[in-house]
Amino acid sequence: MIKNYFKTAWRSLWKHRVVSFINIGGLAVGMAAAVLIFMWVQNEFNFDGYHQNAANIYRIKNHLSIDKRTTWIWENSSYRMGEEASRQIPEVEKVTRIRPLNYAPTYFKINGEFFPEKDVALIDSSWFDVFDYEFVSGGPEAFNSEPFSLILTESKAKKYFGNKEAVGQIIHIDTLDYKVQGVIKDIPANSSFTFDVLAPIASRRANPKEKENEMQWGNFYYITFLKLNPRSNTKKVAKKIETITAKARETNNLAISLTPLKDLHFESGLQNTALRQGNKKAIVVFGALGVFLLVIACINYVNITTARASLRAKEVSIKKIVGAGRGTLFMQFVAESMVISLFALIFTVIIISASLPWFNSFTGRNFTLDPGNISLLTVVLGTLFFAVVLNSIYPALLLSSFKPLNTFRGISVLKLNDATLRKALVVVQFSFSILLIVGVITIYRQMSFIRSQNPGYNRSQVLSFGLPFRRFFRTITDEQRASTTQSIKNDLKALNMVTNVSLMAMSSIQNNDGQSSGGLDWDGREKDFDPAMAYFQVDADYMKIVKMQLKEGRWFDEGRKFDRKNAILNEAAVKELNLHKPYIGQRLVSRGDTGQVIGVVKDFNFKSLHEKIGPAIIKLDDYYSTDYLIQVAPGKQAEAIKGIQKVWDKYCPGDPFNYTFLDQEFDNMYKEDAKVSGLMSVFAIVAIIISCLGLFGLAAFTAEQRGKEIGIRKVLGASVSGIVTLLSKDFIYLVLISLVLSSPLAWWLMNKWLQNFAYRAELQWWMFATAGIIAVLIAFCTISFQAVKAAIVNPVKRLRSE
Amino acid sequence: MLSLQHISKYYQTGGNKAYVLNDLSLDIDQGEFVSIMGPSGSGKSTLLNIIGMLDEPTNGYHYFMEQPVHQLKEKQRSALYKQYIGFVFQAYHLIDELTVYENIETPLIYQNIKGAERKALVADMLDRFNIVGKKDLFPAQLSGGQQQLVGIARALIGKPKLLLADEPTGNLNSKQGEEIMELFSKINKEDGVTIIQVTHSEKNAEYGSRIINLLDGRIESTTTL
Repeated sequence: MIKNYFKTAWRSLWKHRVVSFINIGGLAVGMAAAVLIFMWVQNEFNFDGYHQNAANIYRIKNHLSIDKRTTWIWENSSYRMGEEASRQIPEVEKVTRIRPLNYAPTYFKINGEFFPEKDVALIDSSWFDVFDYEFVSGGPEAFNSEPFSLILTESKAKKYFGNKEAVGQIIHIDTLDYKVQGVIKDIPANSSFTFDVLAPIASRRANPKEKENEMQWGNFYYITFLKLNPRSNTKKVAKKIETITAKARETNNLAISLTPLKDLHFESGLQNTALRQGNKKAIVVFGALGVFLLVIACINYVNITTARASLRAKEVSIKKIVGAGRGTLFMQFVAESMVISLFALIFTVIIISASLPWFNSFTGRNFTLDPGNISLLTVVLGTLFFAVVLNSIYPALLLSSFKPLNTFRGISVLKLNDATLRKALVVVQFSFSILLIVGVITIYRQMSFIRSQNPGYNRSQVLSFGLPFRRFFRTITDEQRASTTQSIKNDLKALNMVTNVSLMAMSSIQNNDGQSSGGLDWDGREKDFDPAMAYFQVDADYMKIVKMQLKEGRWFDEGRKFDRKNAILNEAAVKELNLHKPYIGQRLVSRGDTGQVIGVVKDFNFKSLHEKIGPAIIKLDDYYSTDYLIQVAPGKQAEAIKGIQKVWDKYCPGDPFNYTFLDQEFDNMYKEDAKVSGLMSVFAIVAIIISCLGLFGLAAFTAEQRGKEIGIRKVLGASVSGIVTLLSKDFIYLVLISLVLSSPLAWWLMNKWLQNFAYRAELQWWMFATAGIIAVLIAFCTISFQAVKAAIVNPVKRLRSE
Repeated sequence: MLSLQHISKYYQTGGNKAYVLNDLSLDIDQGEFVSIMGPSGSGKSTLLNIIGMLDEPTNGYHYFMEQPVHQLKEKQRSALYKQYIGFVFQAYHLIDELTVYENIETPLIYQNIKGAERKALVADMLDRFNIVGKKDLFPAQLSGGQQQLVGIARALIGKPKLLLADEPTGNLNSKQGEEIMELFSKINKEDGVTIIQVTHSEKNAEYGSRIINLLDGRIESTTTL
């Protein structure tokens, strides 16, 4: 019986090849998109669960209250905190710490060549007792036995040492030799810790000055994890840590809480994080998108199958007369949809394996199509099951319900409500497609708005680089540093491809995280109002490059001695401090200098447009500046970089030269947004393709069904265009209804998305109109292909075959 | 074997009842070969469908194999006709996706007969109808007469007691029609299968043992040959 089901199913597929192709193709594309999305979603929701102790591991979270209005939340703790916690709190079974170094690349020197390595972290000797890693060779014992050890992931080991045994090899970092003591399996896609290179914290603490620095309670360097006794009360433990810390620091402005390991991935509110985090909202949205794509792919199948029901009616009726029960017929149609879905699955796997590298680079995860992966199998089979269920229930119920005699008598088996249902389903498909088109338009518009938005400073032809920390701090005096950085500046200025050079004390002017609180005083300050500010420490030449707009007052003057103590504010800062007019000349104490406000600049975007422009203060700096901002003559970039490299090699021989253009850095700030818009467009295209495949199939069916009518109309004198209109009209109505239905939802959703930006391109009515026109045009092209085909057939042929 | 008493079938159109069958009574014995004749719209096909339990009369009594069909539930009725009745259609109604062999085999599958037994039964039937060489062809590859042969083979494979044929030769040329009629006679005589056929052709009607003439839903005359 089963064999018979599949045999019939296969023949029916083969006989209606075009329809089958539409069914299978659409389903495969939809399933592939859905599987990719579900893989990602499933991974996001299973972060860090693979560690054996996951349920008992917590991360200390620090809530530092700055003033009445501001609390900074840090994932970093002071070293002592962990130490004291493990000594004084009985519930704490183990403490382990990590210090991520991924804010800037670490340079490996191997055989005289430099390699920047971003994902480097320092770890405690107890790290491997708490977290699970799989060692390929070497192990934690050797790693912990010496301070200058390294652990690499398999792919890093391969990158540096090829097929040679990595354990035992030496890598130079700064001036020290590190020995590779272990190789671990690559970091799983669902780990918060993306670090490919691990070194012991002991390597840093080998420097006594560094150790002393770290042992201070006020220095928050380490992400600290506690493994607690399973029966502990986490609130009580947090309270105990708080008490210990307050006693040691002699202030109680620090509140402590514990975050379970499994919640790290979606934790929000942190000031910044070095760990791999996910955006829950985006995941939910994309998850819904996956379900939708699958549903619209299944709608195609349901629509085409039920539309063709009348063609199958005869077969069903005969089978009923020769003795088939409704149950067996139902099973036959389920089998058919299973065959289709299985075929689609084959194509799905092909599509997925082809698009996986692209998808990995998009999501920044490392997914593989490994048949042994249980969660992957669950996702794939779950999707298949979902598709089979969606595809079988209704068509099978409908097809198995025919009353045999009605069919033979020619009474239409298609009741009105089937046709209505089909129309409703088409409307669902197109509503969704239009929603996505509106989404893509909105996102692209916002992205180009960001690009065209005047940031309030010049960023073209400007590059920046920083001098190596090790060479310019710790080892030399402030005076030595100041004189060296000045001579570097002079040498750079002397290059004829360089127009301007500015020396400053911040690594980025576009993404300035250098918030600093306290120490500000001015006339009229409320007693406990202590606002945080972004500090810009620059020199007088800075203005020549970034060309900010001065609203009031003047820029710094190298010649005026007192300008060292004076400050320039942005408009937001003036507002934040609630300064009284006239602003210029007001007393302002900042970082210990008592000076005046000498200028106010127009607000400029020193962070991404997601955030509102905050208060900023600009000051001159003498001693701590080691970052350069360089404006290059147009068209001379390559030469300029060569020249700058020469200067670098003169002052920092043997250190790697690393620079960024401001334009590049700018694009990097919106990388996540670019990813989202890219993914969105891909899925929009997929949705439209699937919907159009369905429409194509339905149009073909309609043309076939109305063949006789078309023939008669032609004989009576209808034109080709008249017939095309006749056949297309109904479908175009459906698309228009979809537009009306989906617009409010699209408006609401896209508005929500735009709320993520402090500066945004607002929604316009024409965006919906455009989406509608696009949808109608695509739909019309799809339908008219069939309509024209039907309209140009010789009517005699049509009528004879009836 | 079969008894219809005061069978009526009508459709309500507006205020009027349009009678298709009007108080018709009919008895048919085991082994008979009955031909039903009459002009278009006289109710021949409806009568045949009611006998085959594919259609229900509006009122009247219907007994088949000593069972009161008019009192049976849908499920019991279909079990009854599946067991005892075979159908042959004017338009053959073969399943286009299945081969000759598979078309004949289909009823057996639905009766849950084991594969080996099915094979034997179908082979017998193919042999008997001289269509062994055509067993792997699809209906579209056969002539009308050949398709109808397959249709009859399919109707007989379940060993029915009663064969209902609705204008079995209507789509065939006269030579093919004659062959089919010869076959019906043979089945009737040799296998003892009761046959009721609807036909327009006097000549074909005469293959039967009794001819019933219908007019406007009533039996106008009965001729026993």
